[in-house]
Amino acid sequence: MNDQVTISPTTLSVHLTINGRDHSLDIEPRVTLLDALRDRLHLTGTKKGCDQGQCGACTVHVDGERVLACLTLAAQVEGRSITTIEGLADEDGTLHAVQAAFLEQDAFQCGYCTPGQIMSAVACIREGHAGSDEEIREYMAGNLCRCGAYPHIVAAVRQAAKELRS
Amino acid sequence: MTVHDMKHAASDSARLEAVGGRLSRVDGPAKITGAAHYAVEQQLEGLTHAVVVGATIAAGKVSAIDTRAAETAPGVLAVLTPDTIMELNGASDWLGNPPSQPTYAPLVREVTFSGQHVAAVVAETFEQAVAAAALVKVWYDESPAIVDLSDGKAGDGIPIDAMTKEWGDAQAAFAEAPVRICAAYNTPREFQAAMEPHGLIARWEGDELTIWEPSQWLDGMARTYAEWFGVPFENVRLVSPYIGGGFGSKALALAHSAVAAAAARMLDRPVKLVLTRPQNFTSYGGRAATRQTVAIGADREGRIQSIVHRGVNETAVDGMWVEPLGSVTSIMYATPNFSSRQNVVRVNTVVPGAKRAPGENPSAFGIESAIDELAYELGIDPLEMRLINYAERDPHAKKAWSTRQLREAFAAGAEAFGWAKRSSAPRSMRDGHQLIGWGVAAGTYPVRRAHGEAVVKILADGSVEVESSSIDMGQGTYTILAQTAAETLGVPVEQVSVRLGDSHFARAGVTGGSRLAGVMTGAVYKAAGQALDELIGLAIADPRSPFHALQANTLQVRGGRIASPRGEGPELSIAELLSAVGRDRIEAKGDSMPANSTPEERYKNYTTIAMSIPHTEGDYSRYSWCAHFVEVRVDEDFGTVRVSRVVSALDSGRLYNPKLAESQWKGGIIMGIGQALLEEGIVDRRHGRIVNGNLADYMLPTNADIPDIQTISVGIPDPHSSALGGKGVGELAIVGIAPAIANAVFHATGKRIRDLPITLEKLI
Amino acid sequence: MRDFSYFRAENIEAARNAAALPGAMLLAGGTTLVDLAKCGVAEPATVIDISHIEGFNAIDVTADRAIIGALAKMSHVADNAEVKSLFPAVSEALWQAASAQLRNMATIGGNLMQRTRCPYFRDPANFPACNKRAPGSGCSAIGGVTRGHAVLGTSEACIATYPGDLAVALVALDAEVDLGERKLKVEDFFLAPGATAEQEHDIRPGEVITAIEIPGSASARRSTYIKVRDRQSYEFAAASAAVGLELEGDGRTIRDIRVALGGVATKPWRVRAVEDALKGKALDEATVREASELAMEGAVDHGANHYKIALAPRVIARAILKLGETA
Repeated sequence: MNDQVTISPTTLSVHLTINGRDHSLDIEPRVTLLDALRDRLHLTGTKKGCDQGQCGACTVHVDGERVLACLTLAAQVEGRSITTIEGLADEDGTLHAVQAAFLEQDAFQCGYCTPGQIMSAVACIREGHAGSDEEIREYMAGNLCRCGAYPHIVAAVRQAAKELRS
Repeated sequence: MTVHDMKHAASDSARLEAVGGRLSRVDGPAKITGAAHYAVEQQLEGLTHAVVVGATIAAGKVSAIDTRAAETAPGVLAVLTPDTIMELNGASDWLGNPPSQPTYAPLVREVTFSGQHVAAVVAETFEQAVAAAALVKVWYDESPAIVDLSDGKAGDGIPIDAMTKEWGDAQAAFAEAPVRICAAYNTPREFQAAMEPHGLIARWEGDELTIWEPSQWLDGMARTYAEWFGVPFENVRLVSPYIGGGFGSKALALAHSAVAAAAARMLDRPVKLVLTRPQNFTSYGGRAATRQTVAIGADREGRIQSIVHRGVNETAVDGMWVEPLGSVTSIMYATPNFSSRQNVVRVNTVVPGAKRAPGENPSAFGIESAIDELAYELGIDPLEMRLINYAERDPHAKKAWSTRQLREAFAAGAEAFGWAKRSSAPRSMRDGHQLIGWGVAAGTYPVRRAHGEAVVKILADGSVEVESSSIDMGQGTYTILAQTAAETLGVPVEQVSVRLGDSHFARAGVTGGSRLAGVMTGAVYKAAGQALDELIGLAIADPRSPFHALQANTLQVRGGRIASPRGEGPELSIAELLSAVGRDRIEAKGDSMPANSTPEERYKNYTTIAMSIPHTEGDYSRYSWCAHFVEVRVDEDFGTVRVSRVVSALDSGRLYNPKLAESQWKGGIIMGIGQALLEEGIVDRRHGRIVNGNLADYMLPTNADIPDIQTISVGIPDPHSSALGGKGVGELAIVGIAPAIANAVFHATGKRIRDLPITLEKLI
Repeated sequence: MRDFSYFRAENIEAARNAAALPGAMLLAGGTTLVDLAKCGVAEPATVIDISHIEGFNAIDVTADRAIIGALAKMSHVADNAEVKSLFPAVSEALWQAASAQLRNMATIGGNLMQRTRCPYFRDPANFPACNKRAPGSGCSAIGGVTRGHAVLGTSEACIATYPGDLAVALVALDAEVDLGERKLKVEDFFLAPGATAEQEHDIRPGEVITAIEIPGSASARRSTYIKVRDRQSYEFAAASAAVGLELEGDGRTIRDIRVALGGVATKPWRVRAVEDALKGKALDEATVREASELAMEGAVDHGANHYKIALAPRVIARAILKLGETA
């Protein structure tokens, strides 16, 4: 690291468990989980679309529940288990059913909202909110997609939900 | 020009991979696993972070800036102001016109719009830069601003004579027409709002500049950077393999781009600068606000006698943008008399820019609403009305259409939608508290063309590489170029890797105007064909080739293996053949520039749009077409409008990949729904400032707003539009949706809304 | 954002003590505090993370009352079977709020404390004048873009709308908020701006919300929340109504009715005028629509929000009629 970096007096030592691995960071309290992931840990799969909790691109799981990393302080989730898009597929590269469904249904175009959509979809199914197309649309409404992949996202979530049920 | 016949593959899996096959995106695995790196996600040694400070007035001067608190804040490396930032050269515009000023200042003292960049802070961390930027104090001498299109201070504006289209005597014919309608249609300021915010990383190594920036036009932007900094074009490398949406907004190097590159030069460290989401609403232009009046005179059988059209769009005080408002008005319907004129009005706003289908999109809102109003006036079915006035050829260019499957689109769409079951009177269909309405509208987008080039390499292991500085922002370039190369060469698509988005690769013009697929498939087809010819030539003629003894006239490649078409003699993989003849690669560049083009002409072709080929060049007029059928449900108490069904039939010629084309079409339709019902840049007129510059208050459609959308392809190969027979896809479907919805809302409620968006307070 | 110190409160006492310190702000889900810190509206010197305190997230529901811990997540309460069956307006108000992700982060206590979405309040850099942020500095919204601003409960100092949904249902159902040493009706916990727009809640330094309590009743069991907005989801209300209804044995005479409005007032707005006009009356459409208009008594519009005066009574009426249709 560049030794010109100034560590502010209020730096915390934060331990984060991400995708099953432990990480230790010396960061200011104001650093969000999103910026910790992208800038410090080089886990850039989680995207920054608005940094204000208004688009869903930064969706990750904390203790299995979907949340927005941009409005979460990194310090807040010490001790919790965090999953990002990089941790979704198996170790051997086998895609999660949701990922495979997204590919098959062409549920993305530019791909920028896609990790957030997928993380949101995995949780949506787990929550039991993927029982119908109407429910999927409502419970996925927190993930904006400007390319307009919505109908294909619904198809992918429907397909993956069915597969995961059986 | 003939459509090059693709050797349509034999097996199902080969058909999937061939041009026209529904191959899944080859960049899919990277995108769905988080492995795709977007521009500002590069990890670099010594990376610094920059944040821009925007003006809080719409017009006036910066009278003072106090940077002391910012300079001494933790981690701050530099505070840039108009006084301290290095001077840049003026750069030519996208047509290649020389700059109006010899120098360029991306941080300004003279403010002409709210949010204009006046300062920037560079620090070691993002948090430090943000905190320090808030400490920069700026004082202004504020002047009266022209706040929007309807500001009285704006006046009538500047006539744009190049937009005038006239034939016959439109005014007289309108006055004499037995049936006349005339109305004004307005669209507000809108934003592209791609999910990836604008931003970049700039790094200098000596006099060489590398820029990681989402870009729809690497060569054009590289030229701008080179001119700003006075370095050779070859010294600039723009890298953009993945772009998180563009929609027209990412084709130019902008003020914040200059700030980042200048800061990197001054500090001799890489600089990452990302615009905040609110800054994305003020730092570059979205779609200009527009106003049109459309007057149509017709006979009592519904035949149009005259169209008189006037349009105006806002532009900046110090920049010119024209949104061609007569572009659909002048070609959609046959009329013996026509007049369209357009002004622009200077407003204190950032220069408007391109947003999906600039010109055609708002133009269609006018004419496709107006013809609907005429239909109701005459008691004629709106679909029938459009067929009565069908233009058999381009009424403006007076040329035959290259292909126009619009009748087929109307027929297919109407059939699938069930249009025949419509009850004609407004407010005649309901379901409980919901009024139901059905609307139809047509859309179109010209086939924009350009010369393109691509490099195709066959490598020693038999794999194929396609290289171009063109880009994929979600339209599927990676995939369709893989399909083109795979089919042309006869190799499985898994053996093809497509490398895009690096200005050091083979040149490309702007990815805009829906032209890329047509341009690039042609270039790749040509390059791959040349590579194939060389491969086959080696196989036949080289004495070391196992085929040499065969004395064959030709050989074919299937599934990556070379054999005689008659099945005799050896059968080898490409790798085996190359090894036998001692070659480690074959490389071919295909380009469609005229053979005797000079280096200057090539440079101009790729770094400006000045050499785009007009869509009416030669004997034909080339457009994509569509017909949208929409059902809306309007709550009779609340006035809320929901789109419950969409059926669109579209003519984009031959589809290179129907799966991806459908996604593009649906994307355009969804953006059109946003335009019709939700999107509006709201200006606080006291300050000339957008107050809803964020994704909660500038509303995009959510998943819950969008029903099932059915798209039907009615296109046929168009030999006059592109080498492989396709026409534009990406910008077609957004054209015509807003009027279809406005027409449906009228049918549901009996209320005609002519100002977008159609929000609840306009209906209750 | 400006830098701050971060402490985790281990227990409620530590939270109360820390909350009393100057410049301290409580962090539960973070959806308000982190958002406003990024806007430059909130500038805590110390952030006190109370999200790890145990024992305050229980959802305890019987037919008589619901007691919900302040740290319970919005999503968990929304999906709770007993809440859905015995206090449906509460569940509906919750699941129609924000997005699934935000509901997983945000707590019941934090949700009550959310601030206005007024674009002038949220943008100190461009609009220094805001009586909520800087008492006495003026109101940037009046005379500006007011489409989302309040028509009820406003003053010359402030016209900002209270944007929340849950509190509207709580106010309709006479819920109370537990602050430890005291309990208040939720309706009284929220304050209209008057001359002190910066005071939004009756909460004293050192007080921390620990729970809400909702009394059970027939009208709580037959309740609903209708939220009207421009887009179908992920948006604050243009106008919303929480309604609870109890009918007499004849199935058409109104014995008890609760009505509260959201999205149109400076605080969650109980509408007793409508309740009083309908108690004892037959539930028929004409009567309901006419009575609902009484909700707009005293409404003052500022131009672009004029439509709320037409819209709000219709939302009330439709909510009542919806409950009238379903047993």
